[in-house]
Amino acid sequence: MKIHRRSVLVLLTLIALLALSACAPPATPVAPPAAEPPAATDQPATTDQTTAEQPAAAAVTLTWALWGSPEEVVSHQRVADAFMAEHPEIKIEIWNQPWDDYFTKIQALWASGDTALIPDIAFLWPTPRYAAEGVLENLDSFIEQSGYNLDDYWPGLLESAKYQGSVYGFPRDIEVNVLYYNKDLFDAAGLAYPDETWTWDELTAAAEALTVPGERYGLAMEGGKFSKWLNQNGGAILDDYVNPSKCMLAEPASVEAVAFFADLMNKGYAMRPADLGQAGGDQAVFIADQAAMIIQNTSRVSGFNQAGKAYDVAVVPIPEGGQRWNAAGGAAWVMSAGSDAKDAAWTFLSWLQSTEGGEQVYTAAGEIFPALQSTANSPAFMTDQAPANKQAIIDEAAASGVGGFGYFPEWGELDGSVIGPGMDLIWSGEADPATALPALCEQVDAFLASYGYPK
Amino acid sequence: MSLPPAPRRSLFRWRPDQQWEGYLFLLPSLLGFAVFVILAVTMSLGISFTSWGLTGFRAFVGLDNYRALLRDPVFWQAVRNTAFYLVTIVPMQLALGLAMALALNQGLRATGVYRLIYFMPVVTTVVAGAIVFRLLLSNNGLINVWIQHFAQFTGLPVTPPNWLGSTRYARWAVVILTLWKNTGFTMVIYLAALQGVPRELTDAARVDGAGGWQRLRHVTLPMISSTTFFLFVYQAIGAFQLFTEPFVMTRGGPANSSLSVVQYIYLAAFRDIRMDKAAAMAWFLFIFIFAFTLIQNRLQRRWVYYETE
Repeated sequence: MKIHRRSVLVLLTLIALLALSACAPPATPVAPPAAEPPAATDQPATTDQTTAEQPAAAAVTLTWALWGSPEEVVSHQRVADAFMAEHPEIKIEIWNQPWDDYFTKIQALWASGDTALIPDIAFLWPTPRYAAEGVLENLDSFIEQSGYNLDDYWPGLLESAKYQGSVYGFPRDIEVNVLYYNKDLFDAAGLAYPDETWTWDELTAAAEALTVPGERYGLAMEGGKFSKWLNQNGGAILDDYVNPSKCMLAEPASVEAVAFFADLMNKGYAMRPADLGQAGGDQAVFIADQAAMIIQNTSRVSGFNQAGKAYDVAVVPIPEGGQRWNAAGGAAWVMSAGSDAKDAAWTFLSWLQSTEGGEQVYTAAGEIFPALQSTANSPAFMTDQAPANKQAIIDEAAASGVGGFGYFPEWGELDGSVIGPGMDLIWSGEADPATALPALCEQVDAFLASYGYPK
Repeated sequence: MSLPPAPRRSLFRWRPDQQWEGYLFLLPSLLGFAVFVILAVTMSLGISFTSWGLTGFRAFVGLDNYRALLRDPVFWQAVRNTAFYLVTIVPMQLALGLAMALALNQGLRATGVYRLIYFMPVVTTVVAGAIVFRLLLSNNGLINVWIQHFAQFTGLPVTPPNWLGSTRYARWAVVILTLWKNTGFTMVIYLAALQGVPRELTDAARVDGAGGWQRLRHVTLPMISSTTFFLFVYQAIGAFQLFTEPFVMTRGGPANSSLSVVQYIYLAAFRDIRMDKAAAMAWFLFIFIFAFTLIQNRLQRRWVYYETE
C-alpha cells in the first residue's frame, strides 16, 4: 500500500477537523446526564408517543412532557384522561421520551425558544438547575392567587423545587428510604425483626448474623444514599444547602457516620456499592437472597410483591442518641416560562398535585409515594398489599428534611465530579474516612470558591 | 482566442473551461458540512469565550473558561486518564495488529475466515461490546473465574482484580475493551500494507542471507512505515477522543479514575449545562491533538519511508 506524504497530510488535517466536530455534543447520548431523580422508577424504556384523543371542543392544548416506560405512560395517560373529563376545555398531549434522551431533548426545545414546541408542563430534576437558566415559570403568584396549600407537602420537600426562595415546581413524589428485610432469612437466623427501637448496633449485629461469606451480605445500600447515616448522626455534607460556604464532611459526626457504613463493608457485612452495581442492583440481590436487608425507596415494592418475597419494611435504625432523618427530594412538575397557556397550565398543575387529582391516581397505581401528606394518609396509599408496615414509610417521610443534596445550580457538578468520586474511594475500601474526608473537603471548598460561594 | 499564461492551479480560482455541474453535485454534502461542522466548530470557539448556558449567550468572559479549566482538578484527572489511554492503547494496538497481520500474511489456509473473525469487533456496536465486557470483567465474571483457575492450577499467588470497582484497574478494563474493538482495524490496514511489500525485496534479502527477524526488521517494517505512521496518528486521535467505552462500561468511575476528556466535555455540556466550559475543553483537546499530530508529522521524516521520494 503506497501512501504519499501529501495525501497523508490532507487526511490528517481532515481527521483533526472531524476530531473537533466529534467533540461537539453527541447527537444521541446513551445515558442520563444528571443524577437519577430519587423516587422516579429507574426503568428506561422505549419511547412511546401517546396522544390523547379528546373531542375537538377543547379550547387550549397543553403539552405535557415526561419520561417513562410504556407502562408508566399508560398511567400518565389515565391521569390525563381523568383531568380532561373534569376539564373538557383543556386538552392534554403527552410528550414522552425515554429517560436517556429526555434531558437533552427538552433542553433543545427550551433552547429553541419556540413557544409552539416548548412543553407547558414538564417532569424535571433537578429543578434549581433549570430555574437558574430562566426556562421555568416562577409559581409564587399562581400559588398566592389560588390559595394552593403548600403545607400539605412533607417537611423540606418543597425546598428541592425552590430557587432563590421562590417555588418553581411541585415534587410529584418523595423518596422515602426504608429498611427492607427478608423475613425468611431473619427467621432462619432466629433473629427478631427490625423495629423503631433498633440502633446502629442492632443493625450491625443483625448484618453480621445474616452474612454468609461468598454467598450473602447482611445489608446492601447504594453509596449515594450515605447522607442518611450522616444526618442521623448530626453530620452534614455542607453547612448550607442553598448558599454553601463550607464542606462539613470532615466534622467528627460526619466522619463517624461515614466510618460506620465503611466498616460494615470492610468487615464484609455490607455489599460495596460498586459490587452492588455489578450484581444488578439492590432489587436483584434482594430477590436472589444475596442480601438480607436493603435500604431503598418505595419504588421496589411492586417488584418484591411480584416476586412474592416474604418481606416487610421498617424505619432505618439510627445511632444511639441520633435522630430519624430522610432526604427530602423528588422529581417535580414544572411550568415552562415559555408556555403560551399559563393559566390552563396552572389549572392542570394544581390538579395534578392534589389528593383529589393526579396524586391519588399515581398513588393508587402503586407508582409513587405521594408528595402530599393527605394522599399518603388516604386509602390510595393505605391498602392491604405488602408491605404490612406502611406506618414505617410514613414515619420516615415525616422525618424528611434538607441535607441530602444541594439546592444551588452547581450541585449536580459538585456531587457528580467531586463528592461522588471522593466517596467512591471510601466505599471501595481504597481510602480511610478519617484521612480521605478532610482531603475531599478541601476539594469541595475549592469548588465552592471557584463558583463564588457563599454568594 | 488567447489563453492567459498558464495560471496556477487553484481549487478556488474559477476557470472558464471548468465544469460547474460538479460543484452542484457536491453542494448537498458541502452544505451539510458547512452547517454541521464548520458552523458548529466556529460557534464552539465563540462560545468558549462567553458565559453560555441553556438559553444561550449571557456575557463575554474572555479567557475565564480556559483559566478555570487550568484550575479544575477533575479536568486534569481526565487529561491524565486520556494520556494513559494514549500510551497504552496505541502501542498495544499497533503491536497486536501487526502481529495478527503477519500471522495472516503467511498464506495459511482459511485466512479469510480468521480475517473475518478478527475484524468482527470493528463492526460490532461498541455499546453492545461494552455491556458484554462489563459482564466478562465483573467480580464473578468469566475472566476472573479463569484467573482463579489459573491461580489454583499454577499455585501462583494471583488474586482476580476488581476490574470495574477499583481505581487501579478500571482504566485497564477500558483498555481491554478498546483493544478488542479496534485491533481488527489495525490488522486489516497492516495486512493490505504487507501485501504491497514487493516480493523481490524480501527475496533479495533472503538471498543475501537475512533471517526471518532481519527481513522483518530491515525490509518489511521500513516498507510499511508509512502505514504505521498513518495508523499511529489515526489511533492516537481515536484514543484522545475515547468516549463511549468508558462512558458505557465504567461511567468514568470509580472516583473519576477512568473519566476521559471527551466524557468530561459531555458531562459539562449535558449534566452541568455548561456549554461554555464544554466548548473550552473541546478546543483544549483540539490543541492537544493538533500539536501531537504536528509533532508526529515532523518526527516522521526520521523514520517513515515514502516510495515516491
